[in-house]
Amino acid sequence: MKKGMYLAAAAVLLLGLAACGGKNSHNVNLVEQEGKEKKIINLFGPMEKSNPDADNVARTAHELTVLMAEEQLGVYVEYRTYTAEDYQDKTYDEVVADRARNNMDDLYLLNPDVTQMLGEEGRLADLSGLECAKHLREVVKTANTINGKLVAIPQEVVAYGLFVNQDMFDQYQLKLPNTPEELLECCRVFKENGIETPIGANRWWLECFVLAIGYADLYNGGDTDAQIEALNNGETKLSDYMRPGFTFLKELMDLGYIDAKKACTYEAIEGEGPDFLAQKTPIVMAYWGAANTETAYGAPDFHMQVIGFPTELGQIPVMPMTGFGVGMEAEHKEDAMAVLEVILSDEALQVYTDHNRVISPSKNVEVACIDALKPLNDRINEGVFVLGANANMKVEQWGNTCLIVRDLLNGASVEECMEKFDKLQEEALQ
Amino acid sequence: MRKVEKKTGKNGKKTLIGLILSFFILLGCVVFLIATRITREMSQSAITNLSENLDLLKGTIEVLLEREADYQKLIAKELMIIEQPEEFIHSYNRNDTIVKLSLIFSGEEEGISNTGEVFTAKELDFSDGKQVGELPMSSSYINSMGTWAYTLSCPVIKEKEEIATLYIEYIYDSFEAALPEKLYNSKATLYIMDSVSERFLLKPKGIGERVAGHLNLEDFYRANNILEKTIKEEVEGSIRAGKNVMFYHKVKNKNSLIYMWAVNDGSLYLIGYVPIEAIQREGKAVNQNIYIVVLVMLTAFSLCCIVYLFYERQQSRFRREQEKEREAHNRQLAEALQAAQAANNSKTMFLSNMSHDIRTPMNAILGFTALLVKDADNPPKVREYTKKITASGQHLLGLINDVLDVSKIESGKAVLTMGEFLLSSLISSIDAIIRPAAKNRNQSFDVSVMGIKHECLIGDETRINQILINLLSNAVKYTREGGSIWLRIIGLEQRSSQYERIRIEVEDNGFGMTPEYLEVIFDAFTRAENSTTNKVQGTGLGMAITKNIVELMGGTIEVSSEVNKGSRFTVELELRIAEQEMDIPFWEQHGISRILAVDDDKESCEGIQSLMKETGVVVDVRYQGEEAVTAIQEAMAAGNPYQLVLLDWKMPGINGIETAWKIRTEISEQVPILLMTAYDWDIIEAEALQAGINGFLAKPFFVSALKERLRELYAEQDVDSRETPEETESLEGYHFLVAEDNEINYEILREVLSIEGATCEIVINGEQAVERFCEVQEGEFDAILMDVQMPVMNGYEATRRIRALEREDAGTIPIIAMTANAFAEDVRDALSAGMNAHVAKPVDLELLKKTIHQYVRKKGAEE
Repeated sequence: MKKGMYLAAAAVLLLGLAACGGKNSHNVNLVEQEGKEKKIINLFGPMEKSNPDADNVARTAHELTVLMAEEQLGVYVEYRTYTAEDYQDKTYDEVVADRARNNMDDLYLLNPDVTQMLGEEGRLADLSGLECAKHLREVVKTANTINGKLVAIPQEVVAYGLFVNQDMFDQYQLKLPNTPEELLECCRVFKENGIETPIGANRWWLECFVLAIGYADLYNGGDTDAQIEALNNGETKLSDYMRPGFTFLKELMDLGYIDAKKACTYEAIEGEGPDFLAQKTPIVMAYWGAANTETAYGAPDFHMQVIGFPTELGQIPVMPMTGFGVGMEAEHKEDAMAVLEVILSDEALQVYTDHNRVISPSKNVEVACIDALKPLNDRINEGVFVLGANANMKVEQWGNTCLIVRDLLNGASVEECMEKFDKLQEEALQ
Repeated sequence: MRKVEKKTGKNGKKTLIGLILSFFILLGCVVFLIATRITREMSQSAITNLSENLDLLKGTIEVLLEREADYQKLIAKELMIIEQPEEFIHSYNRNDTIVKLSLIFSGEEEGISNTGEVFTAKELDFSDGKQVGELPMSSSYINSMGTWAYTLSCPVIKEKEEIATLYIEYIYDSFEAALPEKLYNSKATLYIMDSVSERFLLKPKGIGERVAGHLNLEDFYRANNILEKTIKEEVEGSIRAGKNVMFYHKVKNKNSLIYMWAVNDGSLYLIGYVPIEAIQREGKAVNQNIYIVVLVMLTAFSLCCIVYLFYERQQSRFRREQEKEREAHNRQLAEALQAAQAANNSKTMFLSNMSHDIRTPMNAILGFTALLVKDADNPPKVREYTKKITASGQHLLGLINDVLDVSKIESGKAVLTMGEFLLSSLISSIDAIIRPAAKNRNQSFDVSVMGIKHECLIGDETRINQILINLLSNAVKYTREGGSIWLRIIGLEQRSSQYERIRIEVEDNGFGMTPEYLEVIFDAFTRAENSTTNKVQGTGLGMAITKNIVELMGGTIEVSSEVNKGSRFTVELELRIAEQEMDIPFWEQHGISRILAVDDDKESCEGIQSLMKETGVVVDVRYQGEEAVTAIQEAMAAGNPYQLVLLDWKMPGINGIETAWKIRTEISEQVPILLMTAYDWDIIEAEALQAGINGFLAKPFFVSALKERLRELYAEQDVDSRETPEETESLEGYHFLVAEDNEINYEILREVLSIEGATCEIVINGEQAVERFCEVQEGEFDAILMDVQMPVMNGYEATRRIRALEREDAGTIPIIAMTANAFAEDVRDALSAGMNAHVAKPVDLELLKKTIHQYVRKKGAEE
C-alpha cells in the first residue's frame, strides 16, 4: 500500500514537472528562420468536383507518386486546376493549350488531341531521354510520339468502354451487345420497358462509338500502317471511316436511345452518372478508372460490367492515352522532367497501379483488375482495341471527333459532319 | 453509547465523503468555467486575429488593385499626351501583371491591342458595376493565357473630351506574389472568388490543400459539407451586400472557422477555412495546462484523501484492536480475579482441610505420646502406642509429600525419569497395594489387560505407578464397602511402530461425582465433600497431581461420573517400546513350543495369544475345562502335546482346579500347569498343589510374569530348597562421619546408629565434613552420611571436594545423601555430585541399613 502511494506521489510530481517543462529559446532573434525555399513546380491538370465523404482513388494514387517525387527531389509540386463549370465555359483542353502556349506552368496533363496539337506546335519537351520511357509499352509510345519526339507519358493507359448494369440486362433477358445492331436491339427492349434513355451520354465521350466502329478494322485488320499512310496522304477519306459511327449515333439519337440535348450540356459522369447509379439508365460510357473510383462508378448497388464498344468485330475498347507533358520553355523544365522521371518510374507506377487498379503504361508493372473490368481487360490482353488518338495520323482524332460529335448532337446532319472531317483532312494535307 | 458513537462515526464519514464530493464538484465547475472562459476568450481572440489577418490580405489586394488603376490612369494620361498612341500600345510588352493593353477610340467598335490582334470590348462584361479606383472592372474570365483575368477600362480624356478608352487586362495570378506562402502554418485554405459568378479565381501557392482545387462556391460548400440552407442564405445575402462573413462549421470533423472576406467593396472575396485548433494553439495549450494542473491537484488531493482514509482506517483498526485487547485484558483480569478468588477460596479450604488433616494425626501423635509417658512401664502398650504414632507420622509424611509434589509439578520443575519397565511388574505392584485395600472394604478388584502387544516399555514407572495408585486409591476410597473396582489396561491401535498406545480405565460403582465437581476435580486443593465422603481423609491434591503427571507424559485424562452410580477415569498414554531382544531361546531351551490356555474370558485368551505372538510359541485356547481336557487328549493322540497348560481358576462348569485334576491324568508331571487367578493364591494353594498344579500366575497375563514363574519352577526343580529371604544385617562396628546441621536430626541418628551398634562423628556443615575427612586416616570412616542443605557448604559441594581430594579413599568412600530433598531429581543431583546413594528423610532405618550394607559391603568385598 505504502509502495503504491509513493509511486503515485512520484507520478504526480513527474506530471507536474513535465507540465511545467518547456523549451526556452536562447536566441536573441525570436523569428524562426526558415530553411532553403523549395522549388515549386507547377502542374496543371483538371480537377473533378469534390465530394466530402468520397475517396477519390485516382487522385490519391497520383498524389502518392507526387509525394515520392517531392521526397526524392526536395521540390514542391503545386497543382493548378481548371474545370469548366458548364458547356459554355472554355473547355479544359482549350485552357491547357493556352497555358502551355504561354508557359504558365511546368507540367501539363494533356488529352490526346491537345498533346498532338501542342506537339505539332513544338510546345512540348521530348521525354524520350527519360529512363522511365524505356519501359513503356509500344502502344503508349506510338500514341504519344510526334515528329519523332515522345511528348507525353501517361500514368495509366486509359481505356474507354461501356459500363452496363448487368442486373437490368438480366431482368429483360438481354445479352450484352457485341455489335451495333445488338445494342440497338437492347435499347429497343429497354425503351419499350419504360427506360426513357437507355444510353446515358455526356458531351465528351460519345466519340468512342465513332472511333470504335470507324477504326475497328484499321487497328485490328493487320494493315494499320498502310491504312494510316493512306489517310495521311489523302488516298482514303477520313469521312469514310467516320461515317458508320456517326450514322449509328444518329440512329441512337433519332430513336431516343440517347438524349442529345442533355448530352450536349452534360459534363463527364456528373451529368449521366447519377441516373446510371440510380439504375434509371442501363448503359453509360466511361474510362477504366471510373470503375475503381468511388466518386465515379466504384461502388454501384448493382452488378456492373465494363465491356468494349460494339462493332462489327465485336466489343472493342477505345484507348486515347492521356499523358503528362513538359512545357518546352517551362520555367522549371529540368525539375519538371525529374519529377516525371520519378512519378513514371516503375516503382511509382506500381504504387499507382496497385492503388488504382488500372493498366500501367510500363511493361514491367502488372495489375489484377476487378471483376467488372475483366471483359474489357480480356480484349486489351488479346490486343484488340482502338487507339483514341494516334500521333502518326496527321488529323488529330480525339479532340476533333469530339467536337464534331457535338455538332451532331446539336442537330448537324451526318453529311455535314463528314464534310468537316473532309475539311480537316484537306487542311492537314496542306 | 457505543451505538451512538458508531452512528456519529458513520455520519462523520458521510459528511467527509460529502465534503470531498462537493469539493470535487466545485473544483470541476470552477475548472470548467475557467476553461470555457479561456476558450471563449481565445475564440474571440482567434476571430479577431483571423479578421486582422484577412483585413491585411484584403488591404494588400486592394492596394494592388488601386495601384493597377492608378497605373492605368497614368497610361491614359500618357496616351492623351503622345501623338501616336497606337505605337505606344503596340510597343507595350506584357508583364506578370498586365498581359494585354488595348485602346478603342471613341466612336469606333474595334480597337488595337499590344498583342497585335483586333480588340473589341464586346466580350468584356462591365455590367456588374464593379470598380477599382473609379475605373470600371469587368467580370472575371479565362484569358488567352488560360488563366483568370479581369479588365479595367479607363477613358482617355483630352481637353475634357473622351477620345478613347484604355482597356488593360490583369491576371489574378499577379496577386500571388503579394500573398503569404503560409497561412496558419499551412492549415488554412484561401481562394479568391468572383462575387458575381462565385467562381474561384486563384488559390495562392502553398496555401491550403493542393488536391482540393475548388471550382466555385457551390463546390466549396459540397466539399466541406456545408449543406445548411440557412447558412447558405446568410452567406448569399452577405456577399450580395459586400459584407464579411465568418462562421463556425465542422470541416473534415474539425471545428473550423469559415470566412468570406469582401475585397474591393465586395467585388472579390477571400474565401477559405481554418481549423480552430490551428488558430488556438496557445488556447489549447493553456487549457491542457489547466487540465494538467487540475489533474495534478486532483491526484494530490485524492492521494491525500487516500492517505487520510488509510490513516483513519489504520487508526480505527488500531482503536478496535486496542479495544479488543482491553476487553481481553479486562476479561483476563476478571478471570484472574475469579481464579485468584477461587484459589484463595481453595487455599482457605485447603488450609482448613490441612489444619484438619494435620491436626487429626497430630492429635493421635500427641495423644499417644501423652499416653506413652503415662504407660511407659507397660511395654505392650508402649509398642502399641508407638505403632500408632508411627502410623500417624507416616500419614503426615504422605500429606507433606503430596503438597510438595503438586507444588513442584505446578512450578514446572518436575521431570520424568525415563527407564525401561515391565507392564507386568507395574500391574503386579499396583495389585499388591490396591487389592488388600479393596479387600479391607470388601470391594472386588478386577484387573484386565487387552490388546497389549509389548509389555516392556520405556517411561517413568514411578510416576505411572503414582497415577494408578492415585486413581485406584480414590476408587477404593469413594466406593462403598462391597462395591466393585475395575482396572483395565487396553492396547490401542499404534500410531507408530515404536510406540505403544495404552488406555488405562479405572472404574468403580461408588459414590460418583456431581457435574459441578467434575469441572474442578483436577484443580488443586479441591475435594469432594458430602455427608458420605467427609469421613475420607485426603489432601485434595491427588487428582491435580495425576492430571499434571499425565500431561507431563503427553497423555490425556478424562473422567465421567454419575452420582451414586460410579466414576470412570480414562488415561491415555503413548509409551516408547523398549528394544527388547526376543527371548526365543528361553522357550526353545525349555522345550516349550505349544501352550494350552484355558479361560472362559475370551478377551483374556486373545490377550495371551497376542502377547505370546512374538515368542513364536503356539498358544491354543479353550473356554471350558472339558474342552481343555479334550484338547489335551487330542494333542497327545496327534503326537504333538502341549508343554505348558495355563488354567483359569474360576470358570463355568468345572473350575480350574478340577480341570487340573483331569488334565494331570493325561499328561506327565513334567508338563507344568499354572493356575491363573486374580485372587489370593494362599486361599487355594493347598488344593491346587494337590490337583497337580505347579504354581500360580497372577492375572492379568504377562509374558514376563510367566517367564519369571517358569524360571522359578525350573529352579525349584533344580534346587530343592528355596532361598530364604535375606535378613538385614545390623550395623555393628561401623563408624560413620555424619554431616548434619539439625541438632535433633543428628541426635536421632546418633541414637539410631548406636542402637544398631554403630558409632558416628558429627560435623555441622559440609566444610567441616571435608576438613574432618582430610584429618583422619584412610579407612577410619566406613561411610559418610551427608545432609544436603547445610550452612557454610552444602552436601553436594562437600562431596565434590571430598571426591576431588588426593587420597586413595577419596573416590571410594561411600557417601550417602540423607536429605529431605526427596524427589527423583534430588537423587540425580546427589549421584551426579559424586554420592553413592540417596536416602530420604524421615529416615527409614531399614532402608538406611540396606543401603549402607549395599555400599559398605561392596567395599568389604573389594577389600
